Amino acid sequence: MASTSSQPQQINVTDLDLPQLADVRRQLEEELSHLSNSFAQLRQAQAKFRACIDNVGQVKPENKDKTILVPLTNSLYVPGKLSDHENVIVDVGTGYYVKKSRAQAAKHYESKVEYIRTNLEALQETIQKKQDNMNYLVNVMQMKLQEQAGKTAKA
Amino acid sequence: QERNPRGIPKAPFIADVDEYLGPTPDVETALKEFQAALAKYRYMDHNLAQRRRGLEEKIPDIKKTLSMVEFLQERREGKSSTDAGDDDLTDDDDLDDEDAEGPKKPLQTTFELNDTLYAEAELEDTDTVYLWLGANVMLSYKIPAAISLLGSKLEAAEASLQTVVEDLEFLREQITIMEVNTARVYNWDVKRRRELREKE
Repeated sequence: MASTSSQPQQINVTDLDLPQLADVRRQLEEELSHLSNSFAQLRQAQAKFRACIDNVGQVKPENKDKTILVPLTNSLYVPGKLSDHENVIVDVGTGYYVKKSRAQAAKHYESKVEYIRTNLEALQETIQKKQDNMNYLVNVMQMKLQEQAGKTAKA
Repeated sequence: QERNPRGIPKAPFIADVDEYLGPTPDVETALKEFQAALAKYRYMDHNLAQRRRGLEEKIPDIKKTLSMVEFLQERREGKSSTDAGDDDLTDDDDLDDEDAEGPKKPLQTTFELNDTLYAEAELEDTDTVYLWLGANVMLSYKIPAAISLLGSKLEAAEASLQTVVEDLEFLREQITIMEVNTARVYNWDVKRRRELREKE
């Protein structure tokens, strides 16, 4: 029973009886849902960064003298104009805000998007493996069920 | 049955279980009624707790917006009084201290474009502000109207918060009373059954 939780294929899963198999399956399902949640959250974060890239694109010289509604608080907007159309301020984390040029800011967000993409791929692989594990487990469970049904029929 | 100002029924405290249940004590029904009342109280408690959380979030927001609008108004009043002052006073040292850069001083601010993205903008001099009222509705208001609207919203929210807190306290008491009643009736019933058994 030592390493049943991670690699059922290596241990003789066929030796586990039904309740134990059900336990392992429940555990796998929990892990799977947790991983899928994380996957969804990463996707969301990636979408937000893509939106930031768009926004940076809108702070451009063509929009320089157009009137915009500037948010001052959550529900207060005041008409104004973009004063600085070459630079934006990016929150780089841990309380630091850096004034970058538009090109630098776009690069910054693009690298974030890329980083998340690689993480998403790794996560996708892990999810796939867990899914395979669970399928195998379910097969074994069904086999056992049939065996048991056969035995009780005979007895 | 008594009710509190917001229509929440008061729970009766059963001082004498015998008297409450009467000659034919129907303990099961009584207990079921108590459980039903308790469930209603708890449901109301949950709702009020949610409302309170929402209000506690909204109120600081409204305060911030109100103080921003008041600040904008002060700036406008400061500027228009310098313009008037230039005509009347030759010696406007006080006003110069406030508006050292002359009558036209647009406000520079950094505003939020996105969660991690800010940009710089110049606020125009205008007598109109736009307020987001929620539900995809935004209206423009002249600054004095905005100030009075925000002021009344803030008052209403604070009054609401107060009543919700009062109601929550009241509900706490009623829930305790009901739980005590349930316990007393149950204990009384146990005692009665024991007495009946001993008689036999």
